[in-house]
Parts: sequence; C-alpha cells; structure tokens
Amino acid sequence: MVFTEASRAIAWKELIDKLRNRWVIIVGLTFMLFTLSIAYLGAAPAGLTGFRRIDTTVASLTSLVTFFIPLMSLTLGGGIIAEERERGTLEIFLASPVSALEFITGKFLGLLIALTIALVAGLGLAGGMLALKSGIETLWVFARFVFNSLVLSIIFLSISFFISIAFYERTKVIALSVFLWLFYTIIYDLGLIGVVLLTKGEIGMNLFSALLLLNPVDVYRLMNFISIGEFKIVVGLASVEFSGYINTPILLLIALLWTVIPLGGGYLLFKRRYYE
Amino acid sequence: MLTLEGITKYYKEIKAIEGVTFTVRQGEFLAIVGPNGSGKSTLMRIMLGIVKPTAGRVLFNGEPLNEVSWRELRRRIGYMPERVSFYDNLTGMETLRLFARVKRSTVDKTVERILPRKVLERKVGSYSKGMRQRINLIQALLASPDIVVMDEPTSGLDPMGIAEFYSILSEIRQERPLTVVLSSHILAEVEGRADRVAIMKDGNLKAIGSLRSLYRKLRLPLKVFITLKGKDPLIERLLSLEGATGLTYRNGYLIANVPPENKMKILSSLMEKKNRFEDISITEPGLEEVFFGLH
Repeated sequence: MVFTEASRAIAWKELIDKLRNRWVIIVGLTFMLFTLSIAYLGAAPAGLTGFRRIDTTVASLTSLVTFFIPLMSLTLGGGIIAEERERGTLEIFLASPVSALEFITGKFLGLLIALTIALVAGLGLAGGMLALKSGIETLWVFARFVFNSLVLSIIFLSISFFISIAFYERTKVIALSVFLWLFYTIIYDLGLIGVVLLTKGEIGMNLFSALLLLNPVDVYRLMNFISIGEFKIVVGLASVEFSGYINTPILLLIALLWTVIPLGGGYLLFKRRYYE
Repeated sequence: MLTLEGITKYYKEIKAIEGVTFTVRQGEFLAIVGPNGSGKSTLMRIMLGIVKPTAGRVLFNGEPLNEVSWRELRRRIGYMPERVSFYDNLTGMETLRLFARVKRSTVDKTVERILPRKVLERKVGSYSKGMRQRINLIQALLASPDIVVMDEPTSGLDPMGIAEFYSILSEIRQERPLTVVLSSHILAEVEGRADRVAIMKDGNLKAIGSLRSLYRKLRLPLKVFITLKGKDPLIERLLSLEGATGLTYRNGYLIANVPPENKMKILSSLMEKKNRFEDISITEPGLEEVFFGLH
C-alpha cells in the first residue's frame, strides 16, 4: 500500500522537476568536479599531482562531502511542504483521495531517486576514471564511499522532511536547516573536542564513541574510515581511536535509525495535522 | 448531501467561523459570498477536510465523516483552490496526468474543450493567469466528481475570462449533474447563476437561500422607476400614500422604494393615472441589496 499509483505519480513529478530544473545535472557535475580535483590535486601541497592512493582520496573526499551533502539534502527536502503551499498545490493533494503515507512516500522516493542519480553519476563517473588510473581493485573501495555518501544524503533528506513538515514556512525551514547543517558539520564536533579537553581525555572511549553516533556526519565519517581500513578517526583536530563496538553493521543500523526516526516523525506530524 | 453542523473554527484566539450550519443539496449551485476575511475559504477547507474545525462536524449523506469516509468523499469531490501556479517545469498535460493518477483516474480528450492540445503540451511556466485557471478547473473536474468546490475561481481574471469560465461551467452542468459550491466576493458574478446564496460576515452565516427567498425574508423594497416629463406632486403623493419611501428624481425618472407586499396595490393605483407618465418599470432587489441589507 506504500508504492501506490498516487505515490508513484508524486515521485515521478518530483524527479521530473529536479531533472528539468537541472538540479541533478548541477549537483552531479559538482560532485564529479570535486572528486576529480581532489583525486588529481590532493597531493599538490607536497608538490605532487596526479591520481594517488584511493584511501587518501576517499579520506580527503569525506572531509569535503561531509559539508556538501548535508547542505544539499537539507535544501532539497526542505521545500517539500513550503513549495507546495506557495504553489497552492498542497491543498489539491489534501483534497484528493491520497493518504498521508502515499504523499510522503511519493515525495521521498522522487527526491531519493534524483539524489541517487546525481550522486552515482557524479561520483561514479569520477570513481570509474580513478579506477582506470589506480587499478580496478580501488573500484570496490570507491563504491563503498559512494554508498556511504548516499546513506548520508538519505539521512539528511529525512531530517529535511521532518523540518519541512514541522515548520512548513520557507524562512523558518531555511533558518533551521542552516543551523542544523552548522551544528552537525562543525558545532557538534567542536563540542566533542571541548568535552575531551575539559575532561583531559578521561571521557572514556565507549562514551565518546556513543556520542559520535549521535551525529550522522560522524556516523558517515566512521563508515568511510572503516571502509578504507583506517582505524583512527579524525574528529576536528583530535585524532583518537574509537571503541571496538563500532563496526559497519552497527553504523548501518544507526544510519537506518537516523533515517526512519525523522521521516517517521515527519509522516506522523503530517498525518496528525491534515488527516486526523 | 454534504452537511456542515455547528462548524466553529478558531486560529488560536482569532475567530474564523462561528456556529455555521447548512446542507449542500445534490445538483445545486451554491454560492458562498462575503467580503474578504469573512471565513469563506476556511469554510470550504473544512468542507474538504483540509482544515479541522474547532467544534462541529461534517456529515456526508447524513453520516459523520471519519478517516475512511473522508477518503471516499474526496474521490467524489473536486477542488479548485483560489491561487494555484502549478509546476512551471511540467506541461499542462503532465500536470493533469499527475493529478489524474493521484485521483486514480485518467485524462480524457474532453479536456481539450477547455484548453487546446497545443497549449496543454506547453510548459505551465509559459501560461497566462487565465490558462492556469483553466488547468485548475480541469484538475478539479478530473475523475468526474459529484461535487466541485471552487474558492474564488475567477479571482484575477478579466471580464472576458470570467464570462468564459461560467460558460464552461454551465456547459459541463448541462451535460451531467454536478453540485457546485463556489465562493466569491463579487456579487454580480453569482447573481442569476447560483441556485442558492450563503452570505457570510465575520465568520457567521448571516443567511442562506435563493435570492428571492432572501429578499422576501428581509422584506427588502422593490425599486419603481417612473418616466415623467417633469416633477409630478400627484404621483408623489399617490406613492407616499401606498407606503413608498425614498422618492427621488434622477435623469427623468421618479424613483421610489416600494414595500414588496404593496407592489400590486401601487401598480393598480399608478395604472389609473397612466396618462401622467410615459413608462414604468419595477426592479426586484439584487444580491447587492440583500448583502447590504444583512450587513
């Protein structure tokens, strides 16, 4: 009952809209440009150019993507209610026999496909070129990086849905999106560094690792560092080892929770506001 | 068919609607009129289940609506909101297909009567206000609804556009039974078109009924226009004796307000003096008089 004709129609509209307004092309090209630049010029400060090791490329790309993807996803999903309200079409949907679940599913699915195309095309093309230069075995590492990036974008798309439904006015949604972006990409980790400094490193690795899981950006970083076999993580300026219970299945579970909770919350809020 | 029972809506402390009760009858054209901010749009949104009332309930064929029956009702209702710009990147036809799929229906060729195929194949971004309103009308009529709810459908249209809109609506209603609930603040627009008029003011339903029944209920005077060559004190006296008020001369007419119950009496008295005037006409009160009679 989720992927009904109505939800597929809404998903189709979202996808067509993002393809025709060139959002997908612009984001895809930006990703490709970033990836190729970092892969080719990543070692330029050391006086070297050209494609280097895949792990260093992924590590450098991770730093960049942690800023870019959350912002992109938050802006993409932030307008789902505000835009429909401004166009006057939200009321048409609400007056139609479409359920809250169909509406939210359709919107999410459409934007998810648009995001996936942009990410996979942008990063994938660059990854393919990288694999040609550095060896085909690097393709698996890069594919995991693309997958992890997709997971990060899905998490922030879910968060953006919640914000959009909860606040529905464009200015409020933008303000909160910018705040959350800053919070998760910069403020949270600065706070963690502060905690480590204040406790003189006595915080305990288990608690520290648990705190990392509360930030989806750190979850993404951990996923990437695990995928390239790097057992040290860089949180801001601090380099620390992380707790043993953190592994890929746990991180995927946390990522799933980060997706389901905001999206589910948004759906319930939408249903309560308009359907009950 | 659709009954609103004691509908009250407050937005925090602000009253939007208070205790509105009426029934939309099958096949009728009901016009909801009132000034801006009188609660027309809120009332329509409550009727569609988009806005929840603070108190009161909506009944469909006598049954209170729940989540399931709301969905059933929405299959049978078309809604034309006041301001819709649609999606600039979609063509008119794509827009219609989107809403048709949402309503579990399809777009048939008859839509080309309202907008030509050539226009439908263009992106909505290039449409004029009138074309967007037509797309809005078509989407409201998709899936052959029994009721169509239209919130200020002619807002922003030029007189030609307004005339075309009502002509299309009239054609459709001639072809199949369609209940129309339409809001407007332009009284002349719905006069002569609506079967019944609901008059709203400050969130209250001041009156509902056919125009004739409303002005009878309000005992609004008829206007008599008598064409005279000059001032005629005898006619003036005759009219005053029969209860006419507000006697004035304008552009060669003697104009008087006549109580509706005295209409025949005044006419027969005037006919006895018909050699004293050239012509006579009587105008019944219009929606504007009814509207201002209530405000």
